[in-house]
Amino acid sequence: MVRLPTRSADWRLMGRTARLVVTIPAYAVVALLGALLALSVFVASLNVTLVVDTLSLPIGTTAKVETLLSLYPFVGAAYTPIQGGLLVVVALALGVNVAMLAYHFRENGLSLQQGGTSAVGAVLGALGAGCAACGSAILLGVLSLLGISTSLLWLPLDGLEFALVALVVVFLSTYWLADGMRGGEINGCPVDL
Amino acid sequence: MCLVCDEGGNPAKEFEGRGQQGGMNERTRRGFLSSAVAGAAVTAGCLGSGGGSGAGGDDTDTATVIQEGSSDVSFDHPSATGINDQPTLGDRGRQGVIVAFEDPSCPTCRRFNQNTLPRIRSDLVATGDAAYVLRGYPVVYPWGEPASHALEATFDRDPAAMWALKRHYFDQQGQFSMDNVLDRTATFLNGNTEVDGDAVVADVESDAYADAVQVDLDAGEAAGASGTPTFYLFRDGEYQTTVSGAQDYTVFENVLTG
Repeated sequence: MVRLPTRSADWRLMGRTARLVVTIPAYAVVALLGALLALSVFVASLNVTLVVDTLSLPIGTTAKVETLLSLYPFVGAAYTPIQGGLLVVVALALGVNVAMLAYHFRENGLSLQQGGTSAVGAVLGALGAGCAACGSAILLGVLSLLGISTSLLWLPLDGLEFALVALVVVFLSTYWLADGMRGGEINGCPVDL
Repeated sequence: MCLVCDEGGNPAKEFEGRGQQGGMNERTRRGFLSSAVAGAAVTAGCLGSGGGSGAGGDDTDTATVIQEGSSDVSFDHPSATGINDQPTLGDRGRQGVIVAFEDPSCPTCRRFNQNTLPRIRSDLVATGDAAYVLRGYPVVYPWGEPASHALEATFDRDPAAMWALKRHYFDQQGQFSMDNVLDRTATFLNGNTEVDGDAVVADVESDAYADAVQVDLDAGEAAGASGTPTFYLFRDGEYQTTVSGAQDYTVFENVLTG
């Protein structure tokens, strides 16, 4: 039976486990690198051609770096503050999730379900980033394939709904990881409250 | 108030255009005016009368500098098919050329038009470094399609009015729907330009400009545009890269002039 984090104790367990993992320096680095990688994949997935071409364009190194950095939220203009904030939150959550995944894998072994859920979260996060930036065109295409009238479509966040779903999936994955680590110790501290 | 004026403050027809000969669907390029004017940087922000569309300008338009007599070019890229018939800011013969695929109903296109395009106009087009070519790509919300037809119909009558209508679509984007897009288009054109808005709506309803819209759609699909806005950047006649989304001005500046 699939457990969901419905009680406050579940969220405390999740928070405590995540905190214990990222207080280990090596896993903090893993979390940060994971978050950075996730964010980079999000933004690069929208402009693969530009990213690849920029490396070979006949422009200066500074211009190349500037161009690539401007693709990130809060550096360039591609995202609204809400979109950018949400993407950063998804990336950070994914980074922590990856650190917990790495810890769990190294210390306790990894269940297929937990790893799979993280992957789903990453895919949804990327789709959310893409959808937000392309004006829902991807979603419209998907919906039209399913025979859903696009005139009925109303996305107040212009596609960032996917990123919100990704956040939910990542949180679920994090909860299941924390649940699986129950009874153990991280950095000398018990996971259970 | 004029949209585009020459250095003397006189309204000028600076937009490259295409005219009508033998019917609305027959696309031929509008004859360009005197070459003596071509190449002269023009600045807007003036108060003037006569000529042009009389479409209301604002700070965005006053920052626009557009040259007349845009050159015919031939780029070896699908996005540039029929490029010489498209609405253009600046001369296509310049070092940099941006071919933009936009949808009036696309929220990301709105942000690009409000945040990035003004700087492209003032710092790349106005300085003579680049040209901006507009192509309609109505793929987001349904009302974007009749709006794109209306832009084509307006462009044939008065290019300056077309740019004003495009800005109106983005400025008031949240107010538009499939039910009101034609009424609001006619109201705007009748009230703010010298273009007959009712005639434009009649053309939209009769699909008089379906071919023109389809040319853009075909070009976008052939080029691989998967959403809007999508930009194809050319430098010295050579394709450089593709940009998706409401990206920062820095991206365009670096690729075209860096």
